[in-house]
Amino acid sequence: MKQAVDLKHPSALVSFLSEHKYVADEDLATSLYLLLKLNKPLLLEGPPGVGKTEAALVLSQFLGTNLIRLQCYEGLDVNAAVYEWNYQKQLLGIRMQEGSDKSAAEKEKIIFSDDYLLKRPLLQAITQADKAPVLLIDELDRSDEEFEAFLLELLSAFQITIPELGTIKAVQKPYVILTSNRTRELSDALKRRCLYHWIDYPGLEKEMSIVRRRLPGVENNLLEQVVDYVQRFRSMKLAKTPGVSETIDWAESLMALGYREVNRQAMQQTAGSILKSAEDISLALAMVNEED
Amino acid sequence: MEKVQAFQTRSLSEGIVAFAQFARSHGMNIGVQETQDALMAADAGLLKERTFFRAALKSIFCHAPEEMLVFDRLFSLFWDTNPIDLNGRKGKSTIQGSFNKKSTASVVMLGVGQTGAQEEEAKNVSGANAAERLKKTDLSLLNTMEAAELDEIARKLFRQMVVRMRRRMKQDLKSGRINLRRTIRKSLSTGGEPVDLFYRMQTPRKQRLIVLLDVSGSMDKYSFFLLRFICTLKEHFRQLEAFVFSTSLKRITKALQLQHLDEVLKQVGTEADNWSSGTKIGECLQEFTEKYGKRMLNGSPLVLVLSDGLDTGDITLLGKSLQHIHRRAKRVIWLNPLKGMKDYQPLARGMQAALPSIDDFSSAHNLESLLELEKILMHAG
Repeated sequence: MKQAVDLKHPSALVSFLSEHKYVADEDLATSLYLLLKLNKPLLLEGPPGVGKTEAALVLSQFLGTNLIRLQCYEGLDVNAAVYEWNYQKQLLGIRMQEGSDKSAAEKEKIIFSDDYLLKRPLLQAITQADKAPVLLIDELDRSDEEFEAFLLELLSAFQITIPELGTIKAVQKPYVILTSNRTRELSDALKRRCLYHWIDYPGLEKEMSIVRRRLPGVENNLLEQVVDYVQRFRSMKLAKTPGVSETIDWAESLMALGYREVNRQAMQQTAGSILKSAEDISLALAMVNEED
Repeated sequence: MEKVQAFQTRSLSEGIVAFAQFARSHGMNIGVQETQDALMAADAGLLKERTFFRAALKSIFCHAPEEMLVFDRLFSLFWDTNPIDLNGRKGKSTIQGSFNKKSTASVVMLGVGQTGAQEEEAKNVSGANAAERLKKTDLSLLNTMEAAELDEIARKLFRQMVVRMRRRMKQDLKSGRINLRRTIRKSLSTGGEPVDLFYRMQTPRKQRLIVLLDVSGSMDKYSFFLLRFICTLKEHFRQLEAFVFSTSLKRITKALQLQHLDEVLKQVGTEADNWSSGTKIGECLQEFTEKYGKRMLNGSPLVLVLSDGLDTGDITLLGKSLQHIHRRAKRVIWLNPLKGMKDYQPLARGMQAALPSIDDFSSAHNLESLLELEKILMHAG
């Protein structure tokens, strides 16, 4: 919490983020700043591999708090996202109480107490006592509409109702970041509860500075070539467009193999770290061969 | 509403409220909540620099990447307008929103709009209200305006359909019976208490769907909606493979995400023009089985063919390849837009050859008939 109070201006965030190897523009920093100030969830959308998840990670570092992550998938339900009773332990509990002279109601109360509750990410996030955590709900577009509707309730009231225990209110409102790859449109109701920011593929300059931040040892010549190629790959019609994380991977593998420039041989050996399908790789190789 | 601009307001808060109204009047979806947030953002010290102020309002007002372009234009129009420039055209400042209008463009491009002579006929369909009428109108008889309108309706209805289909699948999951034997066997480790229940039916695999869409000249009036329909199906059938064909086959699975729809259409549109030399359904189906058959025709998928069956190629080949597909598929569904016509008989040579290998033969000439596919798909899945 403390840092958040001290924060006076988004530019402070920009510089903090860049110290922590995350290159953010003013737009993203402002969105994060608003997330902290207005305490509204932030929805980050963009193609895969542009640092949406990373943004949440760096934010948690900035706040000096922990990151609680919920990875969404199709079929994600309340049991996996919010809470579940520890049935095995409950059964053991019943056995152990068999000899005692407690009344049935008392026994039941013990069985349905905190000790027997398995907290899943969402419940963890709102019951954390000391410091408001950062809650990352990752790839929300993969979950079903039902789960999205459930989130609406959580995101507006920050409370969860468990029939056996009653309603649990957030001790500290967590800072929520949602990410989506836009494989499907999220509902308007959810969007309107969130701040919104679209992260796109970075331009040449920005991508170079990102890679340099991550791989300080990279030579300028190699870096320039790598990023230039990646930018061109993105403009081609590929089966899978490479993201920034792939650029970093690629530069790293080139360095590991001792290449100082991207030539035909280098491309052949390392294409797998930047392009992820056989068709794409053959397209890319054809492009390099043409240039030679 | 009287459109106020920045220079006409007296305080910053008033300016922000006026900007929210300004943006709303240009079609952005901004409510009281957003305005309030914007005021709070201003309060949080984001006013001193233009870039941050702009970024903050953007983050609050926009909900999709398409809106951002519009926002940028609105922002500079509202905050940078100099009263001197406005002389003579006061209050006439308009901006063309670019979102929600793309689809119209592609409709025009695909030739849906070029039906001047037939417009009358479409209008005379009797029905309760406009939306209902549109749903029943043959897709090839729409004019541009109606096509755009129907596109909106279609998007909504298709979405509802997908949600419904998913919900049904969920309910199915619960109906599995308990595998008593296994449950009891496993309960030994917990002293006879059946802690974990095992079900007889494992989580059913999601049905795979292969779609083959005819984009030849005779189909082009329908292709736009059919393609949109396929896009929506993709939300339910995650494992959906889609192909378009006329004289050759092209895989469009990758490009088939809603945001790329316009691109796909453009591509298909130009290629369809080049190919207008007829349809070779048989050869395309053969190409499909040869190139992709091994990979895709296993685990009995559903196969959906959208075509009018007007084949100019080798008919026996069509019959043979479809038979081949039929043997490996769970069900072959053929949607034919022509079937919507009165007294239609599947007399086209292509259709004749195909019929023996088709499980469901149904029409696809208007929105309603497309929505009926839901039933077929649910039964088949």
